[in-house]
Amino acid sequence: MKLASYRKKSPWILHYNAGGCNGCDIEILACLSPKYDIERFGMINTGNPKQSDILLVTGPVTKRNRERLVEIYAQMPEPKVVVACGACASTGGVFRGMYNCEGGIDQYIPVDVYVCGCGTRPEQIIDGVVQALAILETKTKELEESVRLNKEAIKENKQLNRRNIADEIKPVYT
Amino acid sequence: MKKIETTLLNLKNDIAAFYKPDLHHFMVMNAVEVGDKIEVQWFFSDYAHPCETTCFFALISPHEEIPSIKDIVVSAWVAEAELVDLMNIKVENTQKGFVLEPDFESGPLRKKK
Amino acid sequence: MAKQYEIPIGAQHISLLEPLHFKFTTENEKIVATEANVYYVHRGIEQACCSKFKFRQVSFVVGRVCGLCSISHTTAYSQVAEKLLKIEIPLRAKYLRMLVIELDRIHSHLLCLSHVAENSGFEALFMKTMQYREFSMELLEAVCGNRIQYDFSIVGGVARDLKPQVAQSIMERLKKFIPQLDELMDIYKNNWTLSLKNKGAGAITKEDAMRLNVVGPFARAAGLAVDVRNETEDLLPWKEVGFEMVTETTGDVYARNMVRLRELYVSIRIIENIINGLPESALVTETKAFPDGEATVRLEAPRGELFYYAKGNKTQVLERLKIKAPTFSNVAAMTEAFTGNEYGSAPAIIASYDPCLSCTAR
Repeated sequence: MKLASYRKKSPWILHYNAGGCNGCDIEILACLSPKYDIERFGMINTGNPKQSDILLVTGPVTKRNRERLVEIYAQMPEPKVVVACGACASTGGVFRGMYNCEGGIDQYIPVDVYVCGCGTRPEQIIDGVVQALAILETKTKELEESVRLNKEAIKENKQLNRRNIADEIKPVYT
Repeated sequence: MKKIETTLLNLKNDIAAFYKPDLHHFMVMNAVEVGDKIEVQWFFSDYAHPCETTCFFALISPHEEIPSIKDIVVSAWVAEAELVDLMNIKVENTQKGFVLEPDFESGPLRKKK
Repeated sequence: MAKQYEIPIGAQHISLLEPLHFKFTTENEKIVATEANVYYVHRGIEQACCSKFKFRQVSFVVGRVCGLCSISHTTAYSQVAEKLLKIEIPLRAKYLRMLVIELDRIHSHLLCLSHVAENSGFEALFMKTMQYREFSMELLEAVCGNRIQYDFSIVGGVARDLKPQVAQSIMERLKKFIPQLDELMDIYKNNWTLSLKNKGAGAITKEDAMRLNVVGPFARAAGLAVDVRNETEDLLPWKEVGFEMVTETTGDVYARNMVRLRELYVSIRIIENIINGLPESALVTETKAFPDGEATVRLEAPRGELFYYAKGNKTQVLERLKIKAPTFSNVAAMTEAFTGNEYGSAPAIIASYDPCLSCTAR
C-alpha cells in the first residue's frame, strides 16, 4: 500500500484549541517557524480534519467546545493519533474543577500521547509528535491487517474516565 | 475612582447626560453581591482627564430588570449579554446564551446560599 | 438586491488560533452583515478566583487567562491586590515589570504581524517574522525562566531579579534586532502584493472607533490616541522611560501593521532606557494584611486596555474579581468593520484585529 509509506514520511497535523490559554497554541506555531521547523519532517499544519493524521489538542475542554472536538475527531480518517499538548489538555491543569471546564480531553476522545508542561516547549511538542508517529505506524499496520483478514480491528478502551457527550458537567471536585 | 449613585429610573438619563462619545470611553459593566441586593456598576474612563475613572452604580434586587444603555453606548451589548448569563439578572432586550450554553444553569458567579 | 449567502468561519479553521465563530452574510463577494460568537473558551476563572484560590495564588491563576499577555494579567492583578492591601512596591520591581511587559509586547506584536502575513497569503514573510520573533522568546526565557506563562509579577513585587549578564545579553540582542526590524518595516510598508491585500481592508473611522469604544492598536490605527501608558502615572512610570504615542490615520489592516511595527521601536527604546537606569532596591514588599475595600486598575496590554476590578472582605479569598480584557471592548467594532469588505480578505482582517478570545471569555 503506497499511502502508508507516504503517511510515515509526512504526517499532516490538525490543531484544535479546546479552550486553552493560547500559550501552547503559539508554541505549536513556533514549531512551524524556522528555528524549530517541523516542516523538514514533512509535517504540515492543515486546516482540514479529513486530510490529517495527527490531532494536536490544547486546553481543557470547555462546554461549548466539546461537541466540536468530538466532531473533528470523528471526521478524521482512520488511522489517527491524538496528542494532548500541555498540562490542561492532559489533566485539566489549573482549570480543573472550574464550572465550565472538563478535566482534560481524554474524557471525550482517546488520547495516545500526553505532552506535559505549562506551557509546553516546542521541543516537547516535537518529541510528542515523533512518539505519535510510532503509534501511527503500529495503528496503520493493525488496520491493514484487519482489512486483509477481513475482520474488525481490535479497539481497546483503556481510558476509564471516558464520559458521554450528553452527560451533564459536574465539577471534578469543589 | 469617582462613584456616582443612581437608581434604575434615573440611570438612562444620568448616563445620557454624562456620556459623550468623543470624551468618554465606556469600559465595562460589573455586578457585585452586597447582602441581598446586587450592585450593578457601569465604568467609564475619560480621554481628556486620563487618570479619572467614573463609576455609576445602582443597587437592585435580583428579580428587577435593568434598562439597557445600548441606544446611548452602542458597544454595551457585549457587557450586558455577559452580565445576564454570569450574574443571572435581567437586562432589557437581552437574551440568555451569549456566554454560556442556553441550557446551562445561569448565574455561576452568584454566591450559593 | 443580489442573493444573500451565509458563510460561516470557525470554530476550527486554519487561519484561527483559537475557537472563534463568525457568520458572514454576503452579497456576491461583499460582506453585508456579521455575527460573532466569541465565548467558546469561557472557563469560569472569575468564579474560581473568588472561591477556590487564595488571593496570593490568584496572580498565578489569572496568568493562565491568556498565554500571550500573561504578564499583563499578572501585573494588573498584582497592582489591584496591592491597592487593596495598601502597600507600595519597591522601585526596582516596578521597572522590572515594565521591562517584561515591553518584551512581551515585542513577541506579541511580531506574532500578530506574522499571522496577518500568513492570512494574507504571504507565507515567506510569516516565516521571516517568526524567525525574527524567536529572540524575544529567548530573552523572556532568560529573564523569567519560561518561554510563555512567566509568573513574573507576584503580589508585592516581582519573583526574580534581573542578572547583569542577562541585561547585557538583552542589550546585545536588541542591537541585532533593530536592522531586522527595519527590514520588516520595509517589507510591510512597501511590498506591493501585501499592500493590495491590506490597504483599505477592514477600515474603521475615528468617529466609529470613538462610538464603539475601541482600544489598543485597533483604535490607534484609526487615529484615536488612546493608550493607558500615556494616562496612568501612579503605578508604573511609563513616561519616565520614554513612552511615545504612535497613531496612524487610515484605520485599515495596513495602518494596524504600521502601528504595531512603530510601537516595536518605542518598546525597544523603553527596554534600553530601563536597563540603563535600573535602580537598586529590594524586590518584594512583605505584608501580613488582608485585602479590603474595592479598587480598579488599568494597564496597557499588547492588545489594549486591560481593566481589573477587585473587592476584598478582609479574608484570604476575594469577594469579587472582574477582568475586562482588551478584545472584549473590540468585539462590537470587530463585527462592524467587516461590512463592505470582500469575503476573501476576512482572514487577514481577523488576524489584524489580533483577537485574544481566551482573554475575552476567561
